[in-house]
Order: sequence, then C-alpha cells, then structure tokens
Amino acid sequence: MKGLLNFLKRIEPDKEKRPVLHTFYDAVFTFFFVPAHVTSGKGVHIRDGMNLKRLMVMVVLALQLCYLFGTYNIGHQHFLAIGQYTGFLEGIHLKLAFGLIQILPIFIVTHIVGLGIEIYYAAKRGHGVEEGFLVSGALIPLIMPPDIPLWILAVAVAFAVILGKEAFGGTGMNVFNIALLARAFVFFAYPTTISGDEVWVAGLESMQAGAAATYSWAHLSLFNPLFESLGWATFDPTASVIDGFTGATPLALAAKGGWDAVTQVYSPAAMWWGTIPGSVGETMKPFIIAGALFLALTKVASWRVMLGMLLGTIFTGMLLNAWSATPFMEVPWYYHLYMGSFWFAMAFMATDPVTAASTNVGKWIYGFFIGFFGLIIRVLNPAYPEGWMLAILFMNVWASLIDYMVLQRNIGRRMARAKQAST
Amino acid sequence: MDYVNIFLKSAFIENMVLAYFLGMCSYLAVSKSVKTAFGLGLAVIFVLGITMPINWVINHYLLSENGLLHIDLTFLRLILFIAVIASMVQLVEMVVEKFSPALYAALGIFLPLITVNCAILGGSLFMVSREYTFGESVAFGLGGGFGWFLAIVAIAAIRERIRYSNIPAPLRGLGIAFILTGLMGIAFMSLMGIDPAALAAAK
Repeated sequence: MKGLLNFLKRIEPDKEKRPVLHTFYDAVFTFFFVPAHVTSGKGVHIRDGMNLKRLMVMVVLALQLCYLFGTYNIGHQHFLAIGQYTGFLEGIHLKLAFGLIQILPIFIVTHIVGLGIEIYYAAKRGHGVEEGFLVSGALIPLIMPPDIPLWILAVAVAFAVILGKEAFGGTGMNVFNIALLARAFVFFAYPTTISGDEVWVAGLESMQAGAAATYSWAHLSLFNPLFESLGWATFDPTASVIDGFTGATPLALAAKGGWDAVTQVYSPAAMWWGTIPGSVGETMKPFIIAGALFLALTKVASWRVMLGMLLGTIFTGMLLNAWSATPFMEVPWYYHLYMGSFWFAMAFMATDPVTAASTNVGKWIYGFFIGFFGLIIRVLNPAYPEGWMLAILFMNVWASLIDYMVLQRNIGRRMARAKQAST
Repeated sequence: MDYVNIFLKSAFIENMVLAYFLGMCSYLAVSKSVKTAFGLGLAVIFVLGITMPINWVINHYLLSENGLLHIDLTFLRLILFIAVIASMVQLVEMVVEKFSPALYAALGIFLPLITVNCAILGGSLFMVSREYTFGESVAFGLGGGFGWFLAIVAIAAIRERIRYSNIPAPLRGLGIAFILTGLMGIAFMSLMGIDPAALAAAK
C-alpha cells in the first residue's frame, strides 16, 4: 500500500494546468485511500471514512451477483434459442464468454460517455467527481436489453447525465433517477430497440425459426481457438434458431393471454430463478433479493421504500384481481412478483436516496404509490409492457411534494401543540 | 362512469400542461413556491370548472345552427368564450382579494392573466371539437383544472427543493424550469395510452 501511495503521489497531475485530468486522478486516488481528513478540536462536523463514495460502492457490491448471473443469462438465452446446451450448467464457458462479449462493450460505452461527461463537469466546477456516476454506471448496463446498439446507448447516457443531472447541479441534486432516465430515453426515442419480442435474446439475425446465429470476430477467432486448445466445446457458426422459440418475455405473453399463456412457455421456477429473456440484470430474483437485504441491513437503501412498494404492489394486485376484466387482470397478485423487473426496481431503483422522498412517512407513501402505479401501468396500459421504470419516474415528480406535505403537517401539529401549551 | 373516465383522462392521461403544454406562462411564472402555486391552481380549477359548462351552454344554444337563433354564429365562438372567461376571472380576483390579500399580492399580475391562460381557452375549444355533452364538459373542466393544479404544485415543490442546487448559471430560473417540465412530461407519458372507457367496456 505504501508503494502504491508513493506511486500515486508521484504521478499526481497539476490541478491548475490540467483540471480535467486532476479530477480523474482524484477519483482514482480516493478509491484506494481515504482522504486524511480527521475531526479536529474545532468545528461540529464529524468526519468519517463512510463518505458518499463508500456508500455508493456498497450498491455496486450488491449488484455484482446480478452482473454475474446477467452475463450467464445472455449466453443461456442465446443457446436456448439455437437449441444447444439447454441445461443449466452445460456449456457454461460458452455462455459466459458469449455474455461477456455482449455486456463488456455496453459497460465500457456507458462508462466512457457517462464518466467522461461527469469528470468534465466536475473539473469545470472545481470539485471531485465523488463517484457520482458509479452507481448509475453500474445500473445502466443491467437495465438494457443485451442487444442494444451502442450508439443509442451512448446518446441515452449522454442525455440522462447532461439534462438529468449536470443541468440540476451534479451529484445528489438530480430530481429524476439517472439510470431510468437513460432507459426511458431509449424507450421513447428508439422503441424498437427496447421493446417487443425481438430484442431480448442477443446474437441472432431474428427470432424466426432458421435464422442464423451471428458470431463476431471475438467469438470465432478469440474464444474458439482458446476453447479448442483446452479441449472444450466451441461456438458453432452454422447454428440457427429452432422451431417454436419466440423470445417473448412473460409479460408480453401475459398481456395477450393471461397467466395460462405464460405457464405454457415458462415455468414459475424458471421465472423465479431467472432463466428467461429480459433486461440483463433483472431476471434472477433470489440474487436481487440478496442484494436488497444487503442494502437494507447496511442502511444504504431505505427498507421503508422497499416494503411500501411491496405492499402497494400486493394491494393493487388484489384490487385488479377483484376487478378481473381482462385475462391480464386475472393473473393472481403473487405471480406479478415472478414476472418482469419488480424486484430489481424495488431494490435498486426506487430506493435511490436522492430521488426518493426523504421523510420517513414520505418514504412509505412514495414506495406504496410506486407499487400502485407500476402495476397499473403494467396491467392497464396496453402501450407499455412493464411499469416500474415509468412508475418510479412518475413518483420522482411527486417525491418533493410528498416531503413538503409531510413537513407541513408536522409543522402544523407542533404549532397546535405549542399553542395548547401556551394557553 | 363516463364522467369519471373523462375526469381521470383529462387530469392524468392527457394532462393540460404535461401532455399538451398549455398554460405554460403562469405555470412557469408562479411555480416558485408551493403556497402560491396552490392558490393559483385552485383558481384555475374554479375558472375551468365554471367556464366550461357556461361556454357549453353558449355554444350549444346560442352559437350553433340548431340553437335558439337558428343562425350559424360559430365565428363568434372565440370572442364569446374569452368574454365569459374574463368575467369569471374577475369574479375569482375579487374573491381572492377579499379573503386572502396575501395570496392576491403573491399572485400579482398572474391572477388576471388567467384570462389569457391558454389552458382555459384551450379547454373550451377542446370541449367543442370533441363534442362533449353538458355533463361531460363539467367533468372535463374539473379534470383538466385538477390536472393543471397537480402539475403546478408538483413543479413548485421540486423548484423549492432545487432552489439551493448548484445549477449552471445560465440555466437558473426559467431555464431549469423548462428542462424540468420536459422531464416531467416524460414521466407523465407513463399513463398515456390507458383508456378508461375501453377498460370499463371490457368489464
């Protein structure tokens, strides 16, 4: 560690002459070393190693399992479509290699664009980046379809970071969730790349039976010789999509034919364990719940929002069951927790401390209404297949007002108490 | 049930501000604090809810060819609608001045300017072009006003929250309010596409 410190000290760029480079340097430096601020005799502030950066690293840690399974599942879905290695552990090296080739460019582009803009603005303002993009940058690849064109991703990230965050004053000032804003941008500007049945399985010409699998240079010239030399199975460039594979997500099926249509294609166990098509990180429910528990126990994320959202969803699900006018409404409320990205949205999106309501009562209300609107949009809105992204953005609008009302009510109550005491 | 549908639709799904971007001037100018925004929002609900049925009656019985005069006077529509709106706003202004001088002072010129608030005239013209019945126009007026009220209160709360944010200097004030409105519009697109009437029919 001493050697690293000396090395980092030696290469420190000049802050005056190269502000952008220095900001980047500072970001890397504080990754390894806590700044040497300590509480002195003067002043009332307690300085602690638990700063914003370490808080955000917790979220990134909680996401790692999702990354692992997401990488695997990109490959798994691809091989299911072409009918090879359909078992869970069969051909796992191929699936992981395939997933890695898909997700790595997404991850890199997200960070180059997002972090680049972030560092530029932080340097202009003359303060550190504080890893403002660390969490957004980790979340964005997980909520995109695996086949997203990289230029669309870059435009979306730039939109979200510049208009959603930097315009509002940088880290901790944004009103809307950055990651969801990026996704909503893709969703409304380039809908064909993020909805429908065609986009959730990567590496295929189309979802028609007989369509060829498309492998790139990395598959055929990088990994194939490597696997061959190890005596493992290799990518088969002649593979094509098998009969009967549609690539439709459970929600797309449920919207058409209710729960029966879903179970004809996917078993509840497969939905729970995440071997279904979907956005990269949303499918594996137990890993997400583990991440949610980790965040709740370390108090990084608010359990009130999570529980409120769960209650809101259950309540709305029961309400829709009671109404049951369409097949989708008849889906039992507990099965709504199996489909789509409910858990991911609950654990990582709704709990964003910046955009959520910040009073305790407000958090319950905020969470509850996300659950309510999310399910309303999912079930009642034929235009959108899934509701959580839009429900959370919608409640971001109201979070400030909820806080305002809670505070006003509190002020009013205390005022009444004070008046009573004085008479 | 029909009236509830129209109310919900005009309040949330086809929000006057965030879907049609009507009534932006007072929406942006008075949304600096929640208290004044609340007052103006109530005034807009009242004016929309009152003028819509009055304009409906005028349009139906006076201006249309099947009305009492049996002459097609629809070219007078705009001018009569505005006259009704202006007189109603006068009424609101007097009431506010009498009962809440503080709010009257805070709203300033924007209270009489409700007269030319495009959401109000736009609402009346929507009512004509969508051929609402009397009851539907009441529901539409109240719903549209309620949606406008919600939008201005929401943006006022957000603007109170970001008042001390380190917003880039050129964007402070109106600039960030425009960006905010656009982003709120994206969020409100979440409900666009829901058709309460179709859902009620499915039952």
